[in-house]
Amino acid sequence: MMDPTDHTERSLVSPIPARAGIGLKAQHYQEIIDTKPDIGWLEVHSENYMCAGGPTQNWLNAMRERYPISLHGVGMSLGTAGPLDSAHLERLVALERHVEPGWVSEHLSWSIAAGVYLNDLIALPYTEETLGVFSEHVGEMQDALNRRVLIENPSSYLRYAHSVIPEPEFLLEVTRLSGCAVLLDVNNVFVSAMNHGFDPVQYLDQIPAELIGEIHLGGHSQTVIDGRTIRIDDHGSRVCDEVWNLYAHLIARVGPTPTLIEWDSNIPELDVLVAEAAKADAIMAKLHQFAFRQTSEEVRHANPG
Amino acid sequence: MPTLAELQAAMCDVSLGGDAALLVPVIIGDGFAPEQRLNIHRNNTTILLSDALGATYSVVQKLVGEDFFNAVARLFVRAQPPRSPCLFEYGAGFADFLATLPAAQDLPYLADVARLEWCWNEAFHAPDVVPLTSADLADVAPDCYGNLVFTPHPSLRLLASPFPVKEIWDINQCGADPQASVSLDEGPQSLVMLRPRGSVEMIELSPGGFVLSEHLARGATLEQAFVAASDVETQFDPASTLAVLIGAGAFHRHALKS
Repeated sequence: MMDPTDHTERSLVSPIPARAGIGLKAQHYQEIIDTKPDIGWLEVHSENYMCAGGPTQNWLNAMRERYPISLHGVGMSLGTAGPLDSAHLERLVALERHVEPGWVSEHLSWSIAAGVYLNDLIALPYTEETLGVFSEHVGEMQDALNRRVLIENPSSYLRYAHSVIPEPEFLLEVTRLSGCAVLLDVNNVFVSAMNHGFDPVQYLDQIPAELIGEIHLGGHSQTVIDGRTIRIDDHGSRVCDEVWNLYAHLIARVGPTPTLIEWDSNIPELDVLVAEAAKADAIMAKLHQFAFRQTSEEVRHANPG
Repeated sequence: MPTLAELQAAMCDVSLGGDAALLVPVIIGDGFAPEQRLNIHRNNTTILLSDALGATYSVVQKLVGEDFFNAVARLFVRAQPPRSPCLFEYGAGFADFLATLPAAQDLPYLADVARLEWCWNEAFHAPDVVPLTSADLADVAPDCYGNLVFTPHPSLRLLASPFPVKEIWDINQCGADPQASVSLDEGPQSLVMLRPRGSVEMIELSPGGFVLSEHLARGATLEQAFVAASDVETQFDPASTLAVLIGAGAFHRHALKS
């Protein structure tokens, strides 16, 4: 189908360490500079920093002098049928060259149709057609960036009648066809598992350790519709106990791995995010009696085949 | 079975308020009506894009209140959804949209406040370039001043309104005196906004100063700009306006047009 280019050998200026980091939010800029909290790294939403100039970029420059940065995209819409938005890809390449991030990641989903950006990460039908479209797009993105990228499993609220490939199998097929690695979002696995009635442990156990470049943890909410609960991945609260348990289960198998605390709505004080990150660090330390020396080097240099 | 492109076109339409009936056979209900599952995505798009608009148009939001703003934002999102995933670029048409909205006619200044917020937003995200200083003009012989042309600083924005929009904006900023009020009789107002350094600055100009700035920003010579400014303001003094503009960093480069 396609011949993946091996982008795993490129050396990185600032790799992401195998410990917990937090999502960077504008309301915390000054406090992070002033107090330099003990967190391993920062993740930013790429699209927020694609402006031509101004204070937003200056803040990012100040952060990258202090912490390794991971660029997490929400706008490439790799699952959209038709060509990628080449102008957007060019902006991402320019940002990547400037920031020199430890990782660049995107989602197993779509958000653009007919040029309209819906600002929503929508689940894909897992078909042969989608597999071809998605893997080609990941390959294009990696070729433009000249690096291996991470693809994140989605949280989902619906499934399609013509979807025939189970999601973890689809994701692994994408890594095989394109040579990308995985950003494993444990909260997303849990949210989708609860919404669709599958076993989240079985899902997690299918993803090989050497493919996992980064883990995401976040909070979700529950909405009741006609007496039935649906979980919504709003990143607006603490990580719930079930997700912490799944995380511990995963870490016991895969070892210390860069882990992000995501919090994008109802954003709390910086201390709350730092405390959640410390909790993830403590789980990694307890399970592996490890003082966070390992980097994601192993993943980046692993053969994607 | 729809192709991926057909499915996405139909779901995009639903997320922007369209009818979900066509998609019902494609979505597994599993305890819910398919429409209820699609409605989660419709809400995501509507709410998250309205929030993005609210971040750019925070003063408009404060002036009309959250409920009214959300209702208007929802109409706007569906009429003019974003074409770029960079949401700091979203909402260019919001002021014109507000101006046509019957429900907003009681607040005639609202569209101009939105125009001000859009100018501020553009100035905030504009490229960083070094502004021209008065020292850069030291070599220009005084009898050549009329031939001067300027490249505007990329952050420079101009806004003229029949209303005192800067005062309205000021008293609706965080930390402003909650008791402060503005009389609409204080207007009209002519403003330049720019960000040659850290933060966006807003400067009020005389009517002649504004016309001069508009012409210079469009590449007119200083003499042409002066003639145009003199049409709207008798005894117009270009030197003081020029000093204000250059002092504020309104230009990037200069040249002499022969």
